[in-house]
Amino acid sequence: MPILEFQNVSKVYNNTAKALDNVSFSIDEGEFVSIIGPSGAGKSTVLRCINRLIDATSGSIVYDGQNVMKLKKRELRQVRTKTGMIFQHYNLVDRLSVIENVLHGRLGQKSTVCGVLGAYSEQEKERAFAILDELGLADQAYKRCDELSGGQKQRVGIARSIMQDPKLILCDEPIASLDPRASKVIMDHLQKINCERKITCIVNLHQVDVALKYSERIIGVSAGKIVFDGRPDELTDDKIHAIYGSDGSDLITDIQGEKS
Amino acid sequence: MEQTASVLTQCGGVCNARRKRSGKIKIGVHSKSSSAVKILVAVLLGLTVYAFISFDYKEIVLSEAISATLRNVKTVFLEPRLSSDTFRNVMYQLFVTFCLGTLSTIFGAIAAFFCSLLCAKNTAPSGVANAVKCVIALIRAVPTVLWVLIFAVSAGLGSVAAVIGLTFHSFAYLTKVYAESIEEIDDGTIEALRASGAGFWQIVFQAIVPASLSRMVAWTFMRFEINFTNAIAVGAAAGAGGIGFNLYMAGSFYFDLHEMGILTYIVVIAVILLEMFSTKIKERVK
Ligand SMILES: Nc1ncnc2c1ncn2[C@@H]1O[C@H](COP(=O)(O)OP(=O)(O)OP(=O)(O)O)[C@@H](O)[C@H]1O
Ligand SMILES: [Mg+2]
Repeated sequence: MPILEFQNVSKVYNNTAKALDNVSFSIDEGEFVSIIGPSGAGKSTVLRCINRLIDATSGSIVYDGQNVMKLKKRELRQVRTKTGMIFQHYNLVDRLSVIENVLHGRLGQKSTVCGVLGAYSEQEKERAFAILDELGLADQAYKRCDELSGGQKQRVGIARSIMQDPKLILCDEPIASLDPRASKVIMDHLQKINCERKITCIVNLHQVDVALKYSERIIGVSAGKIVFDGRPDELTDDKIHAIYGSDGSDLITDIQGEKS
Repeated sequence: MEQTASVLTQCGGVCNARRKRSGKIKIGVHSKSSSAVKILVAVLLGLTVYAFISFDYKEIVLSEAISATLRNVKTVFLEPRLSSDTFRNVMYQLFVTFCLGTLSTIFGAIAAFFCSLLCAKNTAPSGVANAVKCVIALIRAVPTVLWVLIFAVSAGLGSVAAVIGLTFHSFAYLTKVYAESIEEIDDGTIEALRASGAGFWQIVFQAIVPASLSRMVAWTFMRFEINFTNAIAVGAAAGAGGIGFNLYMAGSFYFDLHEMGILTYIVVIAVILLEMFSTKIKERVK
């Protein structure tokens, strides 16, 4: 059953170039999908249209049975509550503690006053600690976020979105600022969340080999259009070059994951 | 093309240099703005000379005037003594001034916090933000003392007018600097909470306040110091009471230079103490 369906979605920024051009695809519940494509292809735009951080110009986006493009403010907040998002630059509140940042995942479900005061129930706090423990960060709970390494910050970001109890997690280049080891840790956690909690994951990636290794399905975007949509083993060298608009071997990333 | 290139290499690029009439190489560039600056400086110089010529010097002899001034300065700073006032009363007046400064800072800060949310580009629509910025700029353009005098029209000369006037200007000043602190926050932080379904006030208090707190506190203390010194001036100008009024009376009513001296010292010490105190607090809020 599709949890997300894009139908002829287009996005035009400032009446100039088309960032998305008639994009259609659908994603089933529980899938782990990677979106790859060159810089400026529209990967971030796709993700941001889903939780309406930006508004698509035309088409329809049906998410969990609702057309998100027609939502009112209150309904939109509800949709966002069940959608986690993980960012390249983590986007934590640096001056707050790790545990406070994780608890921020609950804000959408809380009343305004409780949210403003930062009053969380004991249950919520226990749950936050359990999630941190799962991500191997229990001993860092009272550190300030600006004292963490990039990999640790990203795990806090993941913890924050799990705290939301989401149906879908959107990851916008979650490992673009991390070294290969920290990247592996992050991708492994995302995979685990996807398998164990049955949370659908859509991950924007720059690393083709990572996409090949982790995803069940890859969507290739180029200049606002979908140019590939299939299983990792269907992604041949030719297709990669088509996505990245290059010919021959002038790409840094060539398939390694497929061979290993 | 080739010809010019060969010419350049022949003279080592120096033939590109512009020369003055004397043959020396110029290094400045003439532009409208540099000549505007020159004209401005000339006008200011002319005005200064004219002012000195046109002063009504009466029968003042310069050497006598200077030595008399020095004598007064000596009396003020080297022979401070309380004569008509008790120490207790002076301390009380200092406290009054302190209260004027504190009250106006607190009222101003609270109002400014909410207003700055309407004024920062990342929390308010740009139309609203620009409109609020204009109003704020207008309020700031009028000096604090003038605001006090304006409010004195309705509230009467005294501490009420002083507090309202000081608050008004602090409000505008703090709104501007708070809004700038908010605009410096990384947009991603706000976006992350928005994406998780958090509402406006939750974002304000869970992300914006923690992220800009240290800057806001620093600015608030900066303004408090300004308000304290303004409260002294206003005490004299608007009869708001406090140590400023004592200074004014001692200086221009009793001509008691000894007392002026000690009052000045007390003010200086108070300001230094405040400065030390605020530095300590600013260090804490990091
Ligand atoms: N806020 C914006 N205003 C105007 N144009 C934008 C804006 N955001 C993105 N664009 C344009 O839309 C197109 C798609 O951008 P998008 O951010 O989705 O690319 P991306 O695939 O995520 O790239 P990257 O891999 O570099 O993050 C680009 O051409 C970009 O210039
Ligand atoms: Mg992007």
